[in-house]
Amino acid sequence: MTTSQPEATPTPNSAVGHDPAFIEVERFSFWYGAAQALFDISLEFPERRITAFIGPSGCGKSTLLRNLNRMNDLIDGVRHEGDIRLDGTSLYDPAVEVISLRKRVGMVFQKYNPFPKSIYENIVFPLRVAGRGSRSELDETVERSLRGAALWDEVKDKLHESAYSLSGGQQQRLCIARAIANRPQILLMDEPCAALDPVATLKIEELMMELRKEYTIVIVTHNMQQAGRCSDHTAFFYLGRLIEYAPTLQLFESPAKEQTEAYISGRFS
Amino acid sequence: MKQRRSDNPKSTGATRSGKGNVVPERFLVSKGTLRFDRFMTQAIQVGGLVVVLAVFGIFAFILSVIWPLFGGAEAAEGDTMFELEASEGAILGLDDWGELPFVTDGGRELVFHPVDGREPFLREAPLPDGAEVSSLRHDPGAQRIVAGFEDGRAGFFEVRYTMEFEEGRDRRVEVELGGEEWFEVAGGPVHAAAYADGGSNKLLAAVHDGGESGARSGLAVVGFHQQRGLLGGGRIEAMPKEELGHLVGGPIAEILIPATADMIFVATDQCELVFLAQDRGEWTVRQRMRMFDNPETRLKTLGFALGDNSIVAGGSGGEVRVFSLFPPEPGEPRTLGLTKEFPGLSDAPVLFAASRRNKTVFIASENELLIGYTTTETVRWRGSVEPGLAALALNGRGSSAAFLDTAGRMRFFEINDPHPEAGMRAFFSPIWYEGFSGPRFSWQSGGATDDFESKLSITPLIVGSLKGTAYAMLFAMPIAILAAIFTAHVLHPSWKRVIKPTMEIMASLPSVVLGFLAAIWLAPLVEYRMPGVFLMMVGIPIVVVVIGYAWSWLPVHLRSRLPTGLELVLLLPVVLGVGWLCWRLGPVVEQWLFVVEMPDGEKVADFTVWWPQWTGLPFSQRNSFVVGFMMGFAVIPIIFTITEDALSNVPPSLLAASRALGATRWQVISTVVLPVASAGVFSAVMIGLGRAVGETMIVVMATGNTAIMDPSNNLIFGSPFGLGSGEFPLAAQWNPFDGMRTLAANIAVELPEAAQGSTHYRTLFLGAFVLFVMTFALNTVAEVLRQRLREKFKLV
Ligand SMILES: Nc1ncnc2c1ncn2[C@@H]1O[C@H](COP(=O)(O)OP(=O)(O)OP(=O)(O)O)[C@@H](O)[C@H]1O
Ligand SMILES: [Mg+2]
Repeated sequence: MTTSQPEATPTPNSAVGHDPAFIEVERFSFWYGAAQALFDISLEFPERRITAFIGPSGCGKSTLLRNLNRMNDLIDGVRHEGDIRLDGTSLYDPAVEVISLRKRVGMVFQKYNPFPKSIYENIVFPLRVAGRGSRSELDETVERSLRGAALWDEVKDKLHESAYSLSGGQQQRLCIARAIANRPQILLMDEPCAALDPVATLKIEELMMELRKEYTIVIVTHNMQQAGRCSDHTAFFYLGRLIEYAPTLQLFESPAKEQTEAYISGRFS
Repeated sequence: MKQRRSDNPKSTGATRSGKGNVVPERFLVSKGTLRFDRFMTQAIQVGGLVVVLAVFGIFAFILSVIWPLFGGAEAAEGDTMFELEASEGAILGLDDWGELPFVTDGGRELVFHPVDGREPFLREAPLPDGAEVSSLRHDPGAQRIVAGFEDGRAGFFEVRYTMEFEEGRDRRVEVELGGEEWFEVAGGPVHAAAYADGGSNKLLAAVHDGGESGARSGLAVVGFHQQRGLLGGGRIEAMPKEELGHLVGGPIAEILIPATADMIFVATDQCELVFLAQDRGEWTVRQRMRMFDNPETRLKTLGFALGDNSIVAGGSGGEVRVFSLFPPEPGEPRTLGLTKEFPGLSDAPVLFAASRRNKTVFIASENELLIGYTTTETVRWRGSVEPGLAALALNGRGSSAAFLDTAGRMRFFEINDPHPEAGMRAFFSPIWYEGFSGPRFSWQSGGATDDFESKLSITPLIVGSLKGTAYAMLFAMPIAILAAIFTAHVLHPSWKRVIKPTMEIMASLPSVVLGFLAAIWLAPLVEYRMPGVFLMMVGIPIVVVVIGYAWSWLPVHLRSRLPTGLELVLLLPVVLGVGWLCWRLGPVVEQWLFVVEMPDGEKVADFTVWWPQWTGLPFSQRNSFVVGFMMGFAVIPIIFTITEDALSNVPPSLLAASRALGATRWQVISTVVLPVASAGVFSAVMIGLGRAVGETMIVVMATGNTAIMDPSNNLIFGSPFGLGSGEFPLAAQWNPFDGMRTLAANIAVELPEAAQGSTHYRTLFLGAFVLFVMTFALNTVAEVLRQRLREKFKLV
């Protein structure tokens, strides 16, 4: 337990301040054991834009998303081909410190997963593990993040109660607040609004529009309206393959592929 | 189970809902299922109830066994009563069986009153012709009456009781007087005489008026020497008479000679106790002490408790004090000291009798009788006697007391005190045993001699249990928990499939085997290599920490070559190497640090000598360190498997969440895994603790299983030369290089030897009860804490 890796090792391309980052995925294939989940995927995420992943269940959206911050490394027997680059540096470069990569690339999970701690402690967790945290900085972060996740008004009086005392939707927003607490450069969101009511959904969308000014965001969604409303680019996946990737307006108004059209119009078989 | 379907919906019971609609059959539960369900519910309830009852049954049984330990004595007056015409100052005697009491008034004739209904009979005492008795004393232990005469002679004759068995008749106690010896000791009347037979030397002392300080200030002493030949006692040779009155320097109230016949205790009228002892053939005053604080107090009775090592003195103010012989400092000659004091009688005690079985003493004022147990300083019984007491005698077992009342009747008390040496004080307070320099907690249930006092303090056993447990846990807890963390969250999962079953096999290793290993292999191995072991204990963690730190400074591209967790496996040979090096370096360190100078000036590097010299605490080969280590081995697998389960059950989503937020491996473990699994880890530790507390075989074997040879003698039995005088240092109980005896081991070792129903037997059950209560309390506290943790980190 002495081998914890220092989190401050600079990566070659560590960006300064709030420079957005630019992600390239090149000919990326991915296997869970023998089962291939992603097939030869190539795409680029423009900086300071929101990219949406759509596609039927099980098509590999979460898999690709999890690869962007190497969360899949920990699964037994996974394998990949191709490359993913962040600001031109391969994520798989031996010199890349996974810990600091994950600090740059924040993530909100498909299933909300707050820690069994207080609301406050949940949000300051990324700061605590980074070894930061004057009292005022923590307080300020908690308020900013909770406001950002449209949760502040609901929980401001019970910050020190257990996170599990919140409703499911509130817990999901807490996870979003937690993900943005340390101001990552890239935010990966896996169906962040699945458990939210329309008002909260709207707030999250507003948050995304706000964050878009500074961050690069990738969002997985099953909600076509949401993809249409707030993303700049949309990628449609089907059975582990990238079928179509285009500016959102273009993809929704005049999809190039028949499958895309069938999916977005709900006539999917 | 097969579900039988009923064809007829009506037969399945309530098939109609409130509005009379028929419920379709597919919504009904089959009768068989219901019946089975009901049966299982009942079976589970019955089973649970049986278990609860069994636990309560065991509890009740243990309680019933230990209950009598805490009761006092019972005394009830018997039916037999003899009317006699004895005057005051008569002597009353009773045989060992309590069947043939005698009364003598002037000592010339003894009147025997058989309690079995025979006619009273009279025996002439074999006194010298024409001598007038001036003092009389009955020594029931030696079956002897010591007499002094007006003409200056003194001596004794024996009242020999024998048990006769004749065919066709019940056993009967017979008596015979004889064995008389008379000597010229003083010029005038003898006011008090005492005699003791110490085998090869015997001593007769007499108080007379011939001293320098007036009446009763002379003390004449005659010693006898008896050659011991192969054919028993040889010729008795009287030594020259000596006059010791000048040593005392005042009127003498009472004298006592212990059975060893080499000392005289003289009580003066001024209530001074003068201890005369022989120093190179010369009588000297070894000690003088005041018996009572109040100068007004006068001495009323004086006598030995069993063993002649304690003197019980009764003062006119009702005081009852016990003075015992003990060495004030280890190795010094014994002197007297006030060791115990009984709560006083309301009136001056005038009668004294000591049991010939144990340290029970009977002290009575005219109207009140107190039965006390000197060792534990407790009053066993106290009550009043009407119309008043004039004389008192006990049978051998102390189960029957005869007394003369002031109305001239002989009456009897039946006394039932099966466990005089037991009681709260005996078990839980330091007791000043005879020969000890101070009160001690001490357990020694059996001894070689008859007048041995069993020492029944279970405090050292409790401390021993805690000590063994503490050392075991100190060793096992960090290793087991760290190993579980490593297996559950660092090592590749495929390793876990090998490690867990291996550990589970280890858990089922019989502890006899571990105890055997500890005793035969480990203890001798480490006895002379302690410095090496220390070095390992310090060296290995340091090396691991240093390497870990160095590793974290290596560039990422080098580190990431190794799969997660493997770097720690690679550390293994390094650790083994360092361990070996430390072991080898041990003697070097010993040469350097643990050098002691022997009495002959030689310098020796030996930790086993150094430790007792520097700390004053003993070092023994089979010590707590070894026990802790081996017991740790017994406990590690249990803690490991349960901890590992708890750690593995932390939801992966929480692990993912913390990793995604940039937590390092250790941060994930410390901030998420450990708190969430804390209740489980805590349970694991508690179950390990429970096992260690009750562990028996390892302790029995690794500390040596005989009580007398026990290396921990010094601690448990409070040896007079181990730990210095005074208070028993409880802190010394934690000496890691000494053994211990735990409650569980004690029961295992001694229960087979304890006679059923005896004090010893019941005390062992008390040990079991304490163990029961300890584990119960421990588990309750643990469960409360565990619930709190669970509540705090619950995952809903
Ligand atoms: N840990 C895993 N181990 C093995 N196979 C996996 C694992 N996670 C996902 N898969 C497989 O990979 C494929 C893609 O799964 P993924 O979770 O990426 O789908 P998704 O597009 O996110 O679906 P959804 O919209 O339902 O979340 C699925 O066929 C799934 O069975
Ligand atoms: Mg998904």
